[in-house]
Amino acid sequence: MYSSYSSILEYLKDLFLVRLPYLPSNIRSALIIILFCTIVFIELYLYISVRRVNQNFNKKVKSKWYDQISNLLTEIIIYEDESDTDAIVQHFLPAFKKLPLYRPFIKNMLTVEILNYHSNFTGKTADVLKGLYLSLKLDKQAKKDLKSNHWEKKIKAIREITQLNLRSEAETILKFTDEDNAQLRMEAQAAFVKLSDDNPFRFLDRARERILDWHQLVLFEVITKTKNIQIPSFAKWLSSKNDTVVMLCLKLVNHYQQWEAIPDMVLLFKHANLKIRAKAIENIGKMEAEMVEESLFEMYYNQPLEIKLKVIEAIGRIASGTYLDFLKSRAYSEEYKIRMAGLRAIKLHGEVGLSLLSDIYRESALQNRSMVEHVLDDRIKN
Amino acid sequence: MALYYSFFEQFLSNAIFYYALIVMFSYMFLTFLSAVEMKSYLRKNSYVDYKAILVSPNAPSVSILAPAFNEEASIIDNVRSLLSLHYSNFEVIIINDGSSDNSMPLLIEYFGLEKVKFALNQQIKTKPLRGIYKSKNPAFSRLTIVDKDNGGKSDALNMGINVSGKDLILCIDVDCIVEQDAILKMVKPFLDEGKRVIATGGVVRIANSCEVRDGRLINVNMPDKLIPRFQVLEYIRAFLMGRMAWSRLNGLLLISGAMGLFDKDIVIKAGGYNHDTVGEDMELVVRMRRYMHDHDLKYRIVYTPDPLCWTESPSDVKILGRQRNRWTRGTMEVLWIHRDLFFNPRYGFLGLLSYPYWFFFEWLAPILECLGILAFVGLAAFGYINWEFSLILFLMVYFFAITLSTIAVLFEEMSYQQYTKGRDLFKLLGMALLEPIMYHPLTVYWSIRGNIDKLTGKKAWGTMTRTGFKSKTKQAA
Repeated sequence: MYSSYSSILEYLKDLFLVRLPYLPSNIRSALIIILFCTIVFIELYLYISVRRVNQNFNKKVKSKWYDQISNLLTEIIIYEDESDTDAIVQHFLPAFKKLPLYRPFIKNMLTVEILNYHSNFTGKTADVLKGLYLSLKLDKQAKKDLKSNHWEKKIKAIREITQLNLRSEAETILKFTDEDNAQLRMEAQAAFVKLSDDNPFRFLDRARERILDWHQLVLFEVITKTKNIQIPSFAKWLSSKNDTVVMLCLKLVNHYQQWEAIPDMVLLFKHANLKIRAKAIENIGKMEAEMVEESLFEMYYNQPLEIKLKVIEAIGRIASGTYLDFLKSRAYSEEYKIRMAGLRAIKLHGEVGLSLLSDIYRESALQNRSMVEHVLDDRIKN
Repeated sequence: MALYYSFFEQFLSNAIFYYALIVMFSYMFLTFLSAVEMKSYLRKNSYVDYKAILVSPNAPSVSILAPAFNEEASIIDNVRSLLSLHYSNFEVIIINDGSSDNSMPLLIEYFGLEKVKFALNQQIKTKPLRGIYKSKNPAFSRLTIVDKDNGGKSDALNMGINVSGKDLILCIDVDCIVEQDAILKMVKPFLDEGKRVIATGGVVRIANSCEVRDGRLINVNMPDKLIPRFQVLEYIRAFLMGRMAWSRLNGLLLISGAMGLFDKDIVIKAGGYNHDTVGEDMELVVRMRRYMHDHDLKYRIVYTPDPLCWTESPSDVKILGRQRNRWTRGTMEVLWIHRDLFFNPRYGFLGLLSYPYWFFFEWLAPILECLGILAFVGLAAFGYINWEFSLILFLMVYFFAITLSTIAVLFEEMSYQQYTKGRDLFKLLGMALLEPIMYHPLTVYWSIRGNIDKLTGKKAWGTMTRTGFKSKTKQAA
């Protein structure tokens, strides 16, 4: 077959330019696919190779500038002058101004490094770094990015502003606390807590969107770790129509042990959302609110299994001793989880509980005995 | 004879050709979807600070379940590595599945274990428990060792589920090298989705020739041997392209048995791992999905593209053949057990797309490929082959395959870039050129053998002999 062609090239030329229209349809399709794949494959191969080469080149260039910027910043860290912050900033400013900040990647690198150093230092060093950042007008880009259409840029700007505590931007950030984009919303909420002077939890009043579990976790960390923040009574939001706001506030009520929230938490015992009901009961137990013990006992029998377990656990934590008979009866339940929860709750009653567990051990059949032994072994956490 | 030839010609040139086109189109579609999903994941997670989960008292609790059978060579390092993972609220449960070697005595001695009186809640039926051990040393308070009669991996995992006291269960192979932040990354989707997430999977990578010290990965290298090198490419393609796309569609049927995080409550309600199949990982996911559909519950199964787990892949043809044979039998078993899903609209996407995709493109494709080759040989023997057209059809498949693999390499380059050395990258690209002619025919052969073994009643798991990482560490040192 090939003998009639002088070369592969000529064969291909003939195949694609002359014979193609006359070939069967499936062969025509196959040839087009081959052509398409060959072009894509070559392009990909070249792109991957060139990208790698560029990457290595950029790495070398960046490494040179990175070293220079790091050296300059290190000088600030080890500088031992007693002058005030502004004087130190003015002392170092000329050296930083010599950097070619008109090149975006250098400006960006400097910003990132200042932020890194700032997050690792407090006091005068942190103030000098912030002063330097402002004197070099690096905040301009962050403020511009807040108006960007790209949510990633907004997040980056919010983080920068929060890190350097630029409180003047708090009101701008508040606008993003009810954004459709969940990532942006969460960043804005967390930033607002840190930056707002008068009412950092204002966003909870206007939160219409769900605060996902992940966002709750992040907000919880921000709220509980931020210093000099005025903590309100979170009971105010326990009647919110947004279940996720209620959930977050329940976690915070427990963290700050806000006793004034107990009546509102009792109201949540009838909440339709089982997670909220369970968390309210758990909080009551953790706060050892003995005055609510009776309400817990009364609600028990009409609840689904997961709520029953929470009630038993809460009564165990309160450990007043009033409901020991109830707990003992739970230790004979047909449901394994209730039996185990009952025994654990009894154990939480100290000496009295241990004595009752001994009685149950003596009175019980083999399986309950092994459960008592299980509960009494402190090494077993399950 | 001419009539037969005419039939074969029509059949081969039309039916099989269009089948191939559909397969190719579906791969391209999945590639596109996975690119979208990868981009979305990388954008969404570029600002995530996982430390928030690490320190939070509100993070979900996790039990790591690792079945071990005759792992005395590496069990201590592996357990120590698991105990050092970055997470706050977790426990490690090692299930000794009736090992006949020194695994148990070694564990007891090293971790100072004592038998405890553990009241087992047998929610899923398993082989008898011999004992549960906890350490006297408070430094190992997270560790629980379960000793039981041998019953296979599924049985061991079910025992682990019975012992677990946490919300989520991370089922892993004990000899895998787990990245330090693996739990953090796998837990996040459970907190971050509007719908209930019932399982997450992470990308499994090949650890052959990588430098490993004390159960931790120190340096990533391209495998020295050809067979694992092909698997590197195959895993990148499967995880970064296939599974990410199915994750986007919420149509995943498989979370790798090497590493998967599950909602324990749903696993128990679905009945735990099935003992009667060698495809227990896929079977569990399918059953969990069925449970959610049957109870009209909204859910998601999510894949994260982060490389979270490194495993030693078979480095010789014989052992790899056994593994692939088992995978084929597993697929057949799962498809058979859940055959009522086939185009069943009651199960929505699961019945109408995920299941049929596996049936037509995962199970049937190698069979049709084999039949095609046999028919080709037969027709060639009788002189009924148009060699030029055959070559064109072969080249179409070849060029499509290398393009797809090169796109997979691009995905890897643009996302995690695990192979930082330039020569490793070019080795990978080289594999893309060789794979369709050297490695793919073997996978088809093993798949056919798997089908035959299944039909003739073979049930063996297929022993997996591993070289181990220790020798490599010494070499590197």
